[in-house]
Amino acid sequence: MAEALILDSEAVNALAHASERAALAERARAILTVAHERRALVRVPAPVLAEVCRGRRLDAAVDRILNGRGIEAISLTPGCARRAGALLAKANLGSDHAVDAFVVATALEFGSAVIATGDPQDVSRLAAGHRQIRVFAI
Amino acid sequence: MPQSAAKLSVSVPLALAKTIRKRVGARGLSRFVARAMQHELEREQLGAFLAELDATAGPIAKTAIDQARRAWPRL
Repeated sequence: MAEALILDSEAVNALAHASERAALAERARAILTVAHERRALVRVPAPVLAEVCRGRRLDAAVDRILNGRGIEAISLTPGCARRAGALLAKANLGSDHAVDAFVVATALEFGSAVIATGDPQDVSRLAAGHRQIRVFAI
Repeated sequence: MPQSAAKLSVSVPLALAKTIRKRVGARGLSRFVARAMQHELEREQLGAFLAELDATAGPIAKTAIDQARRAWPRL
């Protein structure tokens, strides 16, 4: 099964504004470079868009990285949403962490995955016990 | 395929065609080829995006790349 790099809102924002904030984006660019080397798919779970699309100016920056850049948004299926719920229950986390859980559940759809995130603690907690997933702090 | 489909006529090496047909069957061929084309397209687009970032934001430190390489799962 395919390998993937999953981007959370912090990673998307870093890449969307990489030219203005070069230092902040370095880790996001590095993990993206290695995804390219490894021929991994790069995906943004649809719920992450709810965190980064906050008005025309910000949306335009997000659109730039999702439009013909080899980074694709991935729809949330009912099965994936249910899995996210199970992950929240197991990690004893509430619905305020729902987007993090969707991110981890999306990563579980692939054979193996790296999650690039600004919230490595909570994401690691949700991904605990899944050896095929690694968490990379942005 | 949910979107409307285009019929393509392409030539590929005979041995490759045989191996792929054996693996996916005649009915699975379109799906296999479409997925491979999509993946290759994304890879080229991603490479171009990374090159553009190098040009506009400057190159990234080799240490950052090394750290990112170590981040992948070893299965």
